[in-house]
Amino acid sequence: MPDDFNNDAVGNFDSLWKTIDTRYCFFEEKDVDWNEIYSKYRPKVNNSMTSYQLFEVCSDMLAELRDGHTNLSSPFATSYYRQWWSDYPQNYDARIIQQYYFNFNYRSIGSFDYGILPENIAYIHYASFESGLGAGNIDYILSYFSNAQALIIDVRDNGGGSLTNVETLVNRFIDHEILAGYIVHKTGPGHNDFSEPYPYYITPIADGHYAWGKPVVVLTNRSTFSAANNFVSIMSSLPQVSVIGSTTGGGSGMPISYELPNGWGIRFSGSSILDSEGHITEFGVEPTEGCSIDMDPTDMASGHDTILDFAIDYIKSYH
Amino acid sequence: MKFPLHIVSRLIISAIIMLTSTNSIMAQTESDSTVLRPVWSAYTLSSGSSHIADTYLSPIKYAGWTVGFGYNRLQSMKFSPERWIMQLRFNLDASCSKNQAKNTDIWYAGINFSWGMMYRWKLPYGLSAGVGGSAMIDLGCLYLSRNGNNPASAKAAATLNATGYITYKTHLWSLPITLRYQPTLPVIGAFFSPDYNELYYEIFLGNRSGLAHCAWFGNFFRLDNLLTADLNFGNTSLRIGYSANFHSTKVNDIVTHNYTHCAIVGISGEWISLNPNKRISPAAKIISATF
Repeated sequence: MPDDFNNDAVGNFDSLWKTIDTRYCFFEEKDVDWNEIYSKYRPKVNNSMTSYQLFEVCSDMLAELRDGHTNLSSPFATSYYRQWWSDYPQNYDARIIQQYYFNFNYRSIGSFDYGILPENIAYIHYASFESGLGAGNIDYILSYFSNAQALIIDVRDNGGGSLTNVETLVNRFIDHEILAGYIVHKTGPGHNDFSEPYPYYITPIADGHYAWGKPVVVLTNRSTFSAANNFVSIMSSLPQVSVIGSTTGGGSGMPISYELPNGWGIRFSGSSILDSEGHITEFGVEPTEGCSIDMDPTDMASGHDTILDFAIDYIKSYH
Repeated sequence: MKFPLHIVSRLIISAIIMLTSTNSIMAQTESDSTVLRPVWSAYTLSSGSSHIADTYLSPIKYAGWTVGFGYNRLQSMKFSPERWIMQLRFNLDASCSKNQAKNTDIWYAGINFSWGMMYRWKLPYGLSAGVGGSAMIDLGCLYLSRNGNNPASAKAAATLNATGYITYKTHLWSLPITLRYQPTLPVIGAFFSPDYNELYYEIFLGNRSGLAHCAWFGNFFRLDNLLTADLNFGNTSLRIGYSANFHSTKVNDIVTHNYTHCAIVGISGEWISLNPNKRISPAAKIISATF
């Protein structure tokens, strides 16, 4: 039934708690006892508190989910759980690559910055899956790279976006239909009410478009999140692809939106995407074995990207 | 009911503009036929209040306005024109409702089509009544712009309905008036609903399981009430009325409500389409869809 909570502090808190209780999809994976959370935060709420105070309590409660896809939106602020990336080294500085590797001489289109490194290695930094490119745009880019020996796709600091854009890019690197992963959604309000994993597939780009069959290295950091995390998960299953950098930020939940009686919006993970082996990627995708590496501050100070240098050496070692 | 020929000739002019009824009636009202079955049609506009809830989109109830256009057509059946009539109804509806915080709108647009037959009786004191059934297709969509991956909730239902009517013909001073009430109640059918937290993205990827549900009173309730008064000013009547429609579903732990109350205004009339190149047989009998 639609909620009949009062539009006061207690009613809004209870509405938020119930919504998460009945619709959030990662309680078990995160070992969160949501009833215990209620007992912890409910005493902090009373109807004489201000909206700002209520927002703080509700935000703190949502942070217990440790989920970057969980937000509370009020007219004065939106809550974020940031520890999924803030507790880790950033491992990326765009300026270093733009200045010291390309001397600011690179091409940009949409969220793509791209160029060819002196080692004849193609490089793309894809900043956000919110912005996609048309098939023709990608054809131009891959055509430009046609003589390069390998391709580096840098999705560090890519916070995600549309899964459709993931498919648009992945289909350039496959020559047959692949199992991309599975989707699992909640089927009811119980914490363990889930559907059977539904497999979904990606097919190769149609004939007449450029595809890429040479080696590919994907660069990652903790801020590689959500759809970008999904991109890394799928790419890592391809034989010609290696992942270099740090474990991605995760965010495999498909966020859905809801609201409270006072009009504040809620966003949280309602469905889960699993990788092609049926494993959860909410906690991130690990780099290829032996390819986990952080930025060295000394390198950065001298204009070097430790992870990019590692990737270049990695590619050269295989040729 | 028999019309004098001069009235019939005036009706011909009216019939020309009734494009929706022309083709089907032409074949049935040829001059050598012994039975003429005029079409009784109504075109209406409606406006009123809307109360919406859909827990797939929000746990909050919404309230606002709704507008609609309706077409309603009655005609005696060919096989037993005195006793059986058919009814075709078509409705377009749109609504906009706000949450209780007044900071978000939910929009609805829908179309509804039904065809049915009713057995009728002429009763004393200007009363007549009918009961029967209809088949209905209802399509629509709710849209809540603030939502990201779940901004819309599609509506689709095909149902078999029980329906009936009662009419009362009277006069307001010297003005002929026909009062009519018709409820419609779906009894069984099928309807669409996504699963509890299932995103349309997953459906578009191909997961079609569990989307179609058998509709019965336990999970699908709909009651459409239509009360009208046709004020007869000649060949055409002014229709005023009131509709109250109650629609709710409960499946996959998703609850939906769509309640509307509307005032109605429009025109109605009984039209007949004749071939001017053929004479009407003196034996022709006109059997109206309304006694």
